[in-house]
Amino acid sequence: MAPPPASAVADAMNAPARPRDSQTNVDIMAVTKGFHWPWLLAFLFAVAGVLMALGALIYETYYGLGVAGYQAPVFWGVYIITFVFWIGIGHAGTLISAILFLFRAKWRNAINRGAETMTVFAVLTAALFPLIHIGRLWKFYFLLPYPNQRYLWVNFKSPLLWDVFAINTYLTISVLFFIVGLIPDIAVARDRAVGWKKAIYTIVAAGWQGTGKQWKAHNRAVLHLSGIATPLVLSVHSIVSWDFAMSIVPGWHATIFAPYFVAGAIFGGFAMVLVVMIPVRRIFRLERYITDYHFENMARFILFTSLICGYAYGAEYFIAWYSGVEPEQTSFWQRAFGPYWFSTWCMIIFNVVMPQLLWIKKLRTNIPFLFVLSFFINLGMWFERYVIIITSLSREYVPAAWGLYIPSTVELIVLSGSFCWFSMFFLLFLKIFPIIAISEVKELEIHARDHAQAQAQGGAH
Amino acid sequence: MSELDRRDFLKIVGLSAGAAAAAGCSDPADKLIPYVIQPEEITPGIAVMYASTCQECSAACGLHVKTREGRPIKLEGNPEHPINQGRLCARGQAGIGRTYHPDRIEGPAQRSGDGSLQALTWDDAKNKLAAKLGSAASKTWILGGTVGPSLDGLLDGFAKAAGIGGRLSYDSFGQQALIAASQSVFGVAAAPIFDVSDADLVIDFGSDFLDTGVSPTEHAGQLAKSRDMNAHADGGARLISIGPRQNLTASNADIWVPAAAGSEGLLALALAKAVAKKTGSNIASSAISGADIGKAVSAAGIERASFDRVAEKIASAHHAVALPPGIAAATTAGAGAAAAVLLLNAVIGALGHQLKYPASDARPVSSLKDVLALIGEMKAGNVDCLLIHDLNPVYSLPASAGFKEALAKVDLVVSFASLIDETSEVSNLLLPDHTSMERWGDANPRPGVRSIVQPTIRPLFDTQALGDTLLSVARAMGGGVADGLPAGSWKSVVEANWSDTNWRQALARGGVFEATPTRDVSVSSDAAYLRPSAPRLQGGGAFTVIAFPHSYYGDGRGAALPWMQEIPDPVTKLSWNSWAEISLKKAKEMGVVFGDVIKIETESGSIEISAFPRGGVRDDVVAIPIGQGHTVGHYASMAGDDQPGVARGANVAAILPAAHDEAGGQAFLSTSAKVSKAGRFRRLALSQWTDNQRKRGLAQEVSIHDLTKGGMAHFAAVANASEDSGHGEAAAGGHHFEGPPFEFDPKNDAEPGQPYRWGMTIDNDKCTGCSACIAACYIENNGVIVGELEAIRHREMNWIRIERYVGEGNDDVREDSERRPTPDGEILGHAEVRHLPMLCQHCGAAPCEAVCPVIATYHSPEGINGMTYNRCVGTRYCANNCVYKVRRFNYFDYGRLNWPGLLGLMLNPDVTVRNQGVMEKCSFCSQRIEAARQPAKDEGREIGDGEVVTACQQACPSDAITFGNYREESSSVSTLARQGEDRAYHALQELNTRPAVTYLAQVRREKNEGVH
Repeated sequence: MAPPPASAVADAMNAPARPRDSQTNVDIMAVTKGFHWPWLLAFLFAVAGVLMALGALIYETYYGLGVAGYQAPVFWGVYIITFVFWIGIGHAGTLISAILFLFRAKWRNAINRGAETMTVFAVLTAALFPLIHIGRLWKFYFLLPYPNQRYLWVNFKSPLLWDVFAINTYLTISVLFFIVGLIPDIAVARDRAVGWKKAIYTIVAAGWQGTGKQWKAHNRAVLHLSGIATPLVLSVHSIVSWDFAMSIVPGWHATIFAPYFVAGAIFGGFAMVLVVMIPVRRIFRLERYITDYHFENMARFILFTSLICGYAYGAEYFIAWYSGVEPEQTSFWQRAFGPYWFSTWCMIIFNVVMPQLLWIKKLRTNIPFLFVLSFFINLGMWFERYVIIITSLSREYVPAAWGLYIPSTVELIVLSGSFCWFSMFFLLFLKIFPIIAISEVKELEIHARDHAQAQAQGGAH
Repeated sequence: MSELDRRDFLKIVGLSAGAAAAAGCSDPADKLIPYVIQPEEITPGIAVMYASTCQECSAACGLHVKTREGRPIKLEGNPEHPINQGRLCARGQAGIGRTYHPDRIEGPAQRSGDGSLQALTWDDAKNKLAAKLGSAASKTWILGGTVGPSLDGLLDGFAKAAGIGGRLSYDSFGQQALIAASQSVFGVAAAPIFDVSDADLVIDFGSDFLDTGVSPTEHAGQLAKSRDMNAHADGGARLISIGPRQNLTASNADIWVPAAAGSEGLLALALAKAVAKKTGSNIASSAISGADIGKAVSAAGIERASFDRVAEKIASAHHAVALPPGIAAATTAGAGAAAAVLLLNAVIGALGHQLKYPASDARPVSSLKDVLALIGEMKAGNVDCLLIHDLNPVYSLPASAGFKEALAKVDLVVSFASLIDETSEVSNLLLPDHTSMERWGDANPRPGVRSIVQPTIRPLFDTQALGDTLLSVARAMGGGVADGLPAGSWKSVVEANWSDTNWRQALARGGVFEATPTRDVSVSSDAAYLRPSAPRLQGGGAFTVIAFPHSYYGDGRGAALPWMQEIPDPVTKLSWNSWAEISLKKAKEMGVVFGDVIKIETESGSIEISAFPRGGVRDDVVAIPIGQGHTVGHYASMAGDDQPGVARGANVAAILPAAHDEAGGQAFLSTSAKVSKAGRFRRLALSQWTDNQRKRGLAQEVSIHDLTKGGMAHFAAVANASEDSGHGEAAAGGHHFEGPPFEFDPKNDAEPGQPYRWGMTIDNDKCTGCSACIAACYIENNGVIVGELEAIRHREMNWIRIERYVGEGNDDVREDSERRPTPDGEILGHAEVRHLPMLCQHCGAAPCEAVCPVIATYHSPEGINGMTYNRCVGTRYCANNCVYKVRRFNYFDYGRLNWPGLLGLMLNPDVTVRNQGVMEKCSFCSQRIEAARQPAKDEGREIGDGEVVTACQQACPSDAITFGNYREESSSVSTLARQGEDRAYHALQELNTRPAVTYLAQVRREKNEGVH
């Protein structure tokens, strides 16, 4: 065999000064560059909200949970509702990253990163609430099975303990999956950065060079992590739902809770993805990457899960009536027509009625409509947890002990603070790392280009 | 990361360790300091008991005061005392708060012109008073409440020796009318003594003897005995209650006759006539023959058929007794009404059996008429100095009497009050008396019963016993005034009065108790009987004002005590405020809902209170509790809620005329009122959302009819069989009762191989709803009082509550679906109330234990559901999962903040004071179980039956609660559950929680037709 020509060898030995920057890189990294007014305003607003909530929390921790709106017999309120809400939100991201990956659904690639970011920060937000809502925050570590002198174990039979394991597992896996998936994109950022930023990106990129071996390892890691994360989508919120289903409270003690909550989580999660990504897409001019095709698919998911939720609502009411158990029947009737009728009907209309408009194809790709609908779905999902928790607790077995719960100012400040906390992290992430998975989008582009080339070169296969 | 050298590493480790150690710091540990010189009788950790007498009302029950390290911490009943026999009502339990109360006046003081107080020494104070008396004794009056014989004697002696113008010993709840009636009917100037233990029919003409009568603890115990299902298989005594408002007695009655206010006397005389006709008796025939039955029936506003039914019942009874009208029914013709009831008693043969007269006449006490005369003198400027003790006349007298205005004309007003009150606030000189735990004294509730009051703690402040003050003032007056008085101290005066007894023995026992010598009486043959007549009501309003004594406030003195404010009223379940009861129909007509403020106007004044519509009052009445509406006091007024000087609720005395009956006693039922909406809303703390138990079988009832056929099992079979056909047996109480679906034995829910499974049997038939158990539990277990704002938000910390349901309930899903509580199940004339004491059931399969993530709540080997406060992180999952809703959460740092003043001194050292953020609930008085365990261990035996008495069990006047060991076959708790197995059930048993509390269903003794 003849040796290669000297010029080719010389070319190969001279590495290019910088890697070629594709249009994709430029577009997506443009989000992290430059100054955007809306971003700054949103960020300042979020920080202010977080600080206010922090103040409210310090006040509450010092004086006691009495400053919240709890009234016997309703011992759980806005904090648990918000906890379940945020955990639920996270599931859509994991579903998109992990489950759709395993199903090889190509359309996930553009929204995958944004959704996964949302998941990680949603779980981070949710993880705060078990601390916030307990009476002795400073003794939170009693919930962990740590070795101690008195041989004290935790109660493994308690659903709240299962939550501890589930949430921690979910957080760990989500973060790992997230970071592993991010590495190639961090490398892109590293290659374009200068100065101290480059140093930090270099450390976080963990030496990614994009070699074949690294890609192979990366793909295997992502595959395995997807495999681990997939069951979590179903298990974590099932476990959270068992906080309610494993109790004896009428209105909670129902077998439908696990699938109902999982479907509801995905439902609310997708809605949150839309609420988050639609403004990001608009403000940062990412229309080329997130297209009607993506919205169409997300809308279909929303419609599907909305139907499951609607079925679950119906099933709950049917079983309550069919069971003949009067406490159950009364609890459900009063959900719809008692003191909390407003929340219940908000829930039903926002979650079941309004999403039915998505049967109309034109609306599935109508971005403003999707944004408004998603906002209402998020509201509806928050109300769903409100209805489940508050109405069931207020109408239990002993009629003399019935009561009413009204959220207090402190709780509402903390609730809005949780949204600000989430937004704060999300906005920071926007400015630091690519919000769209560059490597995965490029993968699709390459695939599409090859496919087009192959077609151009003659005939179908 | 760059290189980490050894120095940096150690620095980091040190800092982290320091941070960890700092984080581990909690509150600094307090040190317990042992006695340097230990008093002989005190062993730290062991309680010392003293016998004394309760002074919260005139019943004068005997006390055992439990002291720890020199401080009284709990009051129990004295088992040897004939009046209460070891039980103690809620008011008596709460009395311990007076000693440590933040309202206490800490020493003698003088009020200057601008209203501020300057402290004085006792010497200065007594000299001042002595000087005044020296110059103006004849224009000095003493106005006080009723006191024990020793102090009464000393006051008389002082008045005589000092040349005082006059002395009034006044009790607004006195029995002048009854004494005058006795004089008229029997020629005896004494109040009769009632004993219903052997009765088979008790007719209450409005005395409310179970709750606010003259001796509620004693009478409740007697009624429990006469209705004990174990002693009387036929149900024992029947109870008929007559009155316009369903008070606690009517709530426990078999028949409630909703007679119009003030018609009791006419009804009694009419009944006497009807019964005499049936039985053929001719006792007092001349007096009775004048009765007009038709007029009485129409005055009462009931149907003739109902009247006949009641008359028939009375005629067929063998040991019937009728109780005369009480405070709420005291009209201007009160003596006449009482006379009618006495005549009825004569006809039905109660004389000498259920109704006895003491051999000696009643000690004369002053009446409202006498007080009005004094006010007249004050207004005329004839009173220069007024000494006020054991009374709060500025508050309790009807405002229209003008006492406060007349007081302005008195030069020197001296108050001996221990706690600040409305009278002390306008007094010039304060010479505070000791509280009842700090002073000597005695009581003589009836002849033969002499009860000691002895101090159980050194005086906490610079106060002085009234007796000592009088003696020192008399001595300071000089001029031989003191010659007429005993030498020595007040204590020696008391001792001298007891010199005819074995003093040491009396101190140990609590007094000298002998049978009351009685005399036989018969209806006088003279003609001059007082006649009952229709009540004279001032004003022309559409509503009759019923001012009824609140279960806990008395004449107002109870309102100062925090437990009396927080424990819900046993009938309405309201706390911390006043309310005005109007009927549901009238409320609807006026467009008034629960919480709407209404204005009640009489000719004497007007007040605005939140309305409480209920079915248990007549359409033509508005009922307001006496005793609230104080403007002074940490708990009595809004001062504790940072609104000093603002009244808590309304003082009904503001709208009452200064009316009195034939004997001069205050006629509380003497005015009508105009009621209108005030246009605003003021939420009240209502501890129950609804009185509808929705056929869930919480408070169950079985008819006497079905009991004879095999009890609940038979009842269930009949009910279930006839479900399809609709209504069950007419005599049955309802038709959704579910028999126990899971047979279980409480014995099994404790560790095998050890002898105990603690449990309780609660007899709903005995429970009257009085809530003595709640007060006892609060004080025994350091229960915190949360205040009105928190009570409105249902954050009370009571470990036991009494649920008050009406009937079996209505299970229509639409019931009680409003945005506000709807306790509207009562029906006029129907006696369907069921009381259910609800506390932690210590379930064998406890829903709370399964869900606590940190095992802060667990099942002890002896079957108790334990609560480890230090482990609790406060997730509150257990409270959500508790089906009985008996768990309480510390929302604030109650343990630190809610014991103002010296109240923290009464905390029980054997019970943890709970931190912020932890759950708490009934522990079956585990501290008492542990206290019994050590002596048993020392003697090498098990804890025997009756050695552990829970606080609630100990207090209950009706002995409704029994605690003990289910694993011991012969224990009371097992025996009662066995004996009552025809009535035994467990609350919410279909949920299979396997509770350790067995309830015995209430017994329905009469058909539920209602009286119209």
